Amino acid sequence: MEFPGSTATGISLLSAVRMPINLRLYYEIAIRAFRRASVYRAAYVAGILTNAFFAALRCFVYLAVYHAGTSVAGFSPNDAITYTWLTQALISIGAGWLAWDLMQTIRSGDVITDLSRPWSFYGYWLSRSLGERCFNLLLRGSVTYLIGFLFFAARLPHLTEALAFVVAIGLALLVSFAYGFIVNLTAFWLIDNTGVMLIANIVLTFFSGFLLPLAFFPPWLRQVALLLPFQAITSLPAEIWLGHLTGAAVWRAFAVQAGWALVLMLLAIRMLHFAMRKVVIQGG
Amino acid sequence: MLSLYLRLIGARIRSQMQYKLSFWLELVGFALSSGLEFVALAILVGTFHSVGGWSLAEVGVLYGLSSISFGLAEMVSRGFDAPFELMMQRGSFDGVLTRPLGSFFQIMTSEFQLRRLGRSTQGALVFLYACRHLAIHWTLARLILMPLTLLSGMVVYMALIVIGATICFWTIKTPEVINIFTFGGDTLVSYPLSIYNGLIRNIFLWVVPVGFVNYPAALLLLQRSDPYGLPATAAWAAPLVATVFFAAAGLFWRVGVSKYTSTGS
Repeated sequence: MEFPGSTATGISLLSAVRMPINLRLYYEIAIRAFRRASVYRAAYVAGILTNAFFAALRCFVYLAVYHAGTSVAGFSPNDAITYTWLTQALISIGAGWLAWDLMQTIRSGDVITDLSRPWSFYGYWLSRSLGERCFNLLLRGSVTYLIGFLFFAARLPHLTEALAFVVAIGLALLVSFAYGFIVNLTAFWLIDNTGVMLIANIVLTFFSGFLLPLAFFPPWLRQVALLLPFQAITSLPAEIWLGHLTGAAVWRAFAVQAGWALVLMLLAIRMLHFAMRKVVIQGG
Repeated sequence: MLSLYLRLIGARIRSQMQYKLSFWLELVGFALSSGLEFVALAILVGTFHSVGGWSLAEVGVLYGLSSISFGLAEMVSRGFDAPFELMMQRGSFDGVLTRPLGSFFQIMTSEFQLRRLGRSTQGALVFLYACRHLAIHWTLARLILMPLTLLSGMVVYMALIVIGATICFWTIKTPEVINIFTFGGDTLVSYPLSIYNGLIRNIFLWVVPVGFVNYPAALLLLQRSDPYGLPATAAWAAPLVATVFFAAAGLFWRVGVSKYTSTGS
């Protein structure tokens, strides 16, 4: 096989951006990422404890603000509790913070090796991320939610809601990955992009409805949130899980998510092209 | 010792200032992070009018006091965070032990994150805003209490960061769980302690005294009483509690250093 790495000219790097259709390769990358995530037992046990702690803390706050039997902005106390545990469970798919690993390879210069390999650079990181996040969702996410179910009576959805939720999560994974990719890529221009990542992170957690359900936002701020892609990552899947979206509204939610997944992916790939033309890579 | 500390910290600050854009972006990043977290809290309390009987301005006092302390603690003691962890993983802590200075002092001065003032500044703004909306009767004693409270809070959070680092001596990695007490503690005490159940209240008052960072002082300032009988005068005990807790963390650090076995090649 032709290996274009050694010369690393602009042309050969650009060819690495194109998407070769070799699903087997990406499947293997994802499986390896899945296994890698499963090895760090201390990490996910700690993660579950941390997520459960924050969820419990927020539940105490909700219990303190709700008066018996009332419903606010369409959220009953049980809805608020369910929402809290669900969003904490979804941390593992990128609802709560951005992954930094791509940025670190850009900063160290290791990124050049990945760029010069005969695969799609975007596809490589997407497969890695999907593998890792599927593991985290299956283990870390579900155990976290189980704690909420056992101790705070977080709701379990009906079968159709659960199926719709699975679809919504798949789309949410694509959106959150593309957003993270774009933000990580700024490291090509700013050698130290920690500040940008911090800001991107809080914008994500705030406007996705992770910190607070969008339903509680004042109307104008909710309008802003609904125009941004972040609701596709947390708020929409959570509303499907809660049974707040039914029938046509579910299909509309899917359309919004798929639209953002596509737009952000195109933007990310465009940005990668741009980086390849403009940028000198660090290290050696 | 103090002049050496200032010299080392001065060097750290100068080196950070070489990357001005990064510095300001991170400062803004930290301020914005805690700022939007507060906006979420404010929307929630605003929607429901009060939390556990405390108004938004009253919660702002709790929030402000804890944020200022936590930001200051992070600023001075993040040397115990990632840089120390890396040191453990590379085995370069050996070098620290050979120098004629305490290891605690060396690690503390290995990093000074001025950008963490973003959180403190934002906390201070919330605190001032809250004070303007509340009729707090400022006596001399209460004015003296404020710096004492902030300092005690800072010391409690520093002790927690040190404890997290010390666990590294056994595990090589700072356990994520310490975040429950640092970030989690800060979030937890942003709401009145009385809304939690007995277990959480007791842990965060008597085991990990993050509750002392702001709750008794807020009771005293706002002339409220704790439904579980914690007297507001406990605010004056905060410096003592913080000192004891920090001493315990220091002792734990010593045990850790004595158990240190090097890694690396």
